[in-house]
Order: sequence, then C-alpha cells, then structure tokens
Amino acid sequence: MEYWLDAVQNKEKRTVFDFTETENQKLIVKSVKEFCERYLTAEKIREMDDKGHPYPKDVAEGLCSLGIVMGTVPVEHGGSGIDWITQSMIAEVIGYYDPTIATAAGFMAVETGWGFTIDRHCSENVREKYIKPAIKGEKFVGIATTEPAGGSDVAGFKSTAKKEGNEWVINGEKTFISGTEECKEWGGGYWINVRTGPMQPEAPHRNMTSFFLPIDAEGVEIQEPYRDAGRMAISTGGFKMKNVRLPDEYRLGEENKGFYYTMEGFDNARMLIASSCVGVIQRVIDEAVPYIKDRKIFGRPLAKYEAIQFELAEIYREMEALKLMAQKTAWMQDIRYQEEGMPEKTSNAKTFKPTDVAKWISLIKWKGPSLALEAARKAMIWLGAAGYTKEYLLEAAWRGVMSYVVGAEGGLNIQKIVVARELLGKEFIPYK
Amino acid sequence: MKRIIVCLKQAVDVSQLKVDPKTNQLLTASAPKKISDFDKNALEEAIRIKEKLGEAEIYTVTVSSEDAKAVLREALAIGADKAYFVNDPSFQDVDTSATAYILTEAIKKIGEFDLILCGEASLDSFSGLVGSRLAELLNLPLIASVRKLTVEDNTVVGERTLEDAYETVKAKTPALITVTREINQPRIPSLMMIMKASKKEIVTWTATDLNIQKEKVEGKIDVIEVLAPKTERKKIMITGENKEEIAEKLAKALIQEGVVGR
Repeated sequence: MEYWLDAVQNKEKRTVFDFTETENQKLIVKSVKEFCERYLTAEKIREMDDKGHPYPKDVAEGLCSLGIVMGTVPVEHGGSGIDWITQSMIAEVIGYYDPTIATAAGFMAVETGWGFTIDRHCSENVREKYIKPAIKGEKFVGIATTEPAGGSDVAGFKSTAKKEGNEWVINGEKTFISGTEECKEWGGGYWINVRTGPMQPEAPHRNMTSFFLPIDAEGVEIQEPYRDAGRMAISTGGFKMKNVRLPDEYRLGEENKGFYYTMEGFDNARMLIASSCVGVIQRVIDEAVPYIKDRKIFGRPLAKYEAIQFELAEIYREMEALKLMAQKTAWMQDIRYQEEGMPEKTSNAKTFKPTDVAKWISLIKWKGPSLALEAARKAMIWLGAAGYTKEYLLEAAWRGVMSYVVGAEGGLNIQKIVVARELLGKEFIPYK
Repeated sequence: MKRIIVCLKQAVDVSQLKVDPKTNQLLTASAPKKISDFDKNALEEAIRIKEKLGEAEIYTVTVSSEDAKAVLREALAIGADKAYFVNDPSFQDVDTSATAYILTEAIKKIGEFDLILCGEASLDSFSGLVGSRLAELLNLPLIASVRKLTVEDNTVVGERTLEDAYETVKAKTPALITVTREINQPRIPSLMMIMKASKKEIVTWTATDLNIQKEKVEGKIDVIEVLAPKTERKKIMITGENKEEIAEKLAKALIQEGVVGR
C-alpha cells in the first residue's frame, strides 16, 4: 500500500509505515532549528515573555524569510508549497524553542493554519493585498470568530452582514482574538464569520458567511488587549465592527456556508498547535532531566526516585503517542487536500471524509495542549521551588499551553464532543 | 569573476561530541557531522561575491571516505551551484597533506577558476594547514585568515587577522583565500532554497577518477591517541568578611592561576 506523502521532494511515493524523514525534510528541520538557535534562544524567549506583546517584528520577518509561515500555501500564491507533514514538523520545532507557545500560536496556528485557509477561499485582490505580504512578514492575518456570547457555541453569534448592492455592511463584535496588536501595528486583517441570514435554532451554524476583514477598514474599533496569563509575546484582544462596508470580493467562499469553511481553518490551526505541543513537551523534558539527574535529595539524585522517573517515562510515552497521532493526522490532511485538488475546493475526497480528519484533529488538539500542560506542571513539581521560578521556562510553558486547554482554537471539551459525535452519531450531540 | 571554488569539509559536530567516561576517548564515530563552520563562512562569502558581482558559478569540493551527501545538499541549499564529492574508502585516514593533494587533483579536473575559498581551519581537527598546502600545490597566491574581503576586477584585497594587528594584502586572481568566522554570518537556507537545491547536481568522483596515487594519500602522520583533556575542579571556596575582601581574594587567586592579569 503506497500513498503520496511528500510534496517537498518531487511528489515521491512512499510506503505508509515509513517514518523516515526525506532529505529535504531533514534540511528544513535543520534550517528551522538553526534559526531558532540564533534568534529564539532561551534568553530571548524569557525577554519576550517578560516584555509582552507585540511580537518582535524582526523575529517574525525572520521566520517568514525561511518560508515556514504559511509554508503550505502554493508556490504560485507566494508560499513554499510544502505538505502538512512537513509543516507539522516545523511547528514541532517552533514549539520546542518557544515553549511559551506564543510563536506557535501567532505564526503556526493562526497565520499558517488560517492564512492557508484564507488563501484557499479568497479573491485574487485579497491574496495580493494581504496574504502575500503576510507570508513575507510584512502584515499579519488571523482568525476572529469568537464573540462575547459564543465561541464554540455558534448559536451565540450575533454579528451580521447585510448586502447593499455589491457591498456588505457588517456590524457586531469579536473577542479573544489572537494578534490584534500585531495586526494593528503591521497591518493585515482577519477571517470573520457573520450571520447573513436568520439564526435557525435547530441549525445555528447555517446562514453564516465568512469574510476577510482588513483591520484598518472604516468602522473597525480595536479594543484594549487582554492581560493574558501566558504566551505573553502575542496579543489577545477584540474589536467592534460598526457599519463596516466590505466589497463582495472580501467574501471568503460561498454565501451562507461560512461555518464549513471555518471548520477547515480550525482543522489546520488545531493540527499545528498539537504538533507544537510535541515540541513543548520535549523541551519540558530537556529542561527538567539535567536538573533531576543532578539535584540530590536524601543522598540520591531526584531521577533515582520512581515517583519522578515513572512520571517522566509516562510523559515521554504519551508524547511519542501524540507525535505519531499528529503525523498521521497531517498525512490524512495531505491526502484530503490532494484529493480535493489545491487550491480549488471540490468534493472529491475519497480516502477520508472531512469528518474523519476532523475527528483525528480533535483527538490531537485534545491530547496535545492538555498533555503539555500536565508535563509542565509535573516537571515544575519535580524541580520544586526552582521549577516555580523564571530561571526555567517550565512555568512559561505551563502558562502558555493553558491557553489552548481553556479555549484557543476550540477548548478541551469541544474536542471531546467532536470525537464522541463521530463515535456515537450526531443524535448524541449533548447540546441538541 | 566566473567561477569560485569553495572547499568544504564534513566535520564532526564538536558541540555534540561525547567522551567515553572510562577511557576519555572521543566518540567521533557516533558523533553527528556537519559542514565545518569556517567553511560555511567561506561559502557564504562566495555567495556574497556572486550577489555583488551579479554572476559567478560557485562550486564546492568535498573530500571524504564517508557519505557526505547531506552536507553537500545543505551547501547547495545555501547557494552553491554545483557540488563535487571526492569519495573513496582509501581516504579514511588522510592527513592535511593528502587532503590538499586530493583537492588539487579535483580542482585541476574541474578546470578554470578565479578564486578558491577555504575556512582558515576545520572545526574538528583545527590544524589550519589544508588551505595553505592547497595554495602551494596549485601555485596560487594565498591570503590566509581573512576577516574582510573585497573583490575588484582581477584582484582581491583581504584584511587578515593577526595576533595583535590587522594586515591588508592584495593579490591577483586566481588566488586562494582562507577566512575566519568573523568575516560574515552564514545565511540559513529557506524552504524554497532547499527545494531548489534538490535539482542541483552533485558530481561524485573516486580516487580512480582523479588518478590519485595511493602512496600520496597514505598518512604521513601517526595519530597515537586523541583524548579529551581531564579537567578536575579545584573546589576552592573563597570566604571573607565582606564583598571587597572576597573580590580581592578571588582576583589574587585568578592571577595566581594565570587566568587573568598576565
């Protein structure tokens, strides 16, 4: 059984169970590591975490110059045309070097996951004005779906768009949005989802349309950013939209089908966050292991105690499981896009239904951040008081990954609902 | 400037080199390999010259008894146009003299060139002899340990790093330059550069292809032993009534050890 796995190296065919990295993947990972060792050192991460947002533009531009931000965007659209397996490998490296997850949040999940999806469904004008500059690090693009009355619960969405001639008039509010300060400073915009028809209580996801909203559009009022607990280098904020007028070419995909396009974006962003968490966990292990081997208590190194070494072994086992699951998911996503044909959206998926992929993505989005949180928490306890200090990046990782447990890109429990829905059937969805 | 040749060594990544705790021997066989850092600077300088002048071909030459394709691919990704790999099992114990000889034969076979760039020494063995030996064998002017390089028409001007001074030397091309780490910061190849590199050519030659004479590659140097230096902590505790007293004692101890204040 053979599948096409790697767009990087001449679309070669490889067997399913071959986990060997291709020569190009090895070099790509090496390049990203070299960049991080130069520009995302532990000292730099600590400085970024202490200083807070906005994210350092020079670092963002450097990441972009490597071609790893929106790497999966086709070459003819300004991207690098790599596959999701390779993009996931990159996300893992980014998570390792910035375990506060600010870099992964801003430039893997948000810009890459969502930027790629915007590129799939946007007009040529939006691509030229926003996607291509964002790929170069000149602008910032992101996702703004959550509203004060609902995030994963789309029934709470109140923002609307009404068509007037060839324009849409948009009103509403979006909140808990990543990168608002960066977007404000660098220029760019957001994928938004708004109602373009009446809310149907039995199917609240219907009658929603996606748009690309330039941050500097008249009528957009950016709010003060939140004071987050973690991932301090990237901002979280919100904005109000008051009679914002957008030409129809800012619409993403077909009218009233915005929910489905949005789920595609969530799939991509969730996948990259899960892979980033593999990197975070490896970093947690690498930070903690020298300490527990060196630090003696009651005459023996901490690592000699089974209470600690068994926890380490368990974390490692789960991290390796997560890595395999994340790689499989990326491989499924590659097949999904290959069969659909890029960049046009079609319904030719044969090997996997989008809901199959969504189930796996929910599995890893559920497992990744919660496992990273647990790894950081346990490692802090192994290190005792030292683990509670800023001498180590453990506490920064702990604060950072929590954002993906509580809600970013869909909270923990919504992932469980997606998995259970696929196992039990739609009739067992708890909120219906 | 039509062609620049860069000599690249696949060196042991000394930052990841482990030492056998019992024998103190360096575990070089299991250590990861990479482009010698200084040679990467040489390659970067070649690319900068090419960018400045608008055109020039950059060829790399690597001599090794082991597989070095990964290193050559990286060089191509960074910006070399073509890589020559001189690979033969008989090169296992080559010393600097033999390496320079093999490189000479390879460069002669490549043909014309305007400039040869080498790192001033290799990351692992750090003898710093190959560049100068190569210049001698090819009968080329040599500017060694260059930290700044300017290329104009058919001349090169190199600023050399000496012990306590800088020296500016001018030479006519073709010439051979060895560079220091401070000459530049090598670029990190982007995804597109990596992907484009997979279409670039790697030419592999054996000892036979270059008519290498066996007796010339036989080691003239016998390496008896390579051991990691043993460093034992002195565990001296400096105490005192106040910070000034402790600082004074520390300063005296450091001077006494020859660490500072020579």
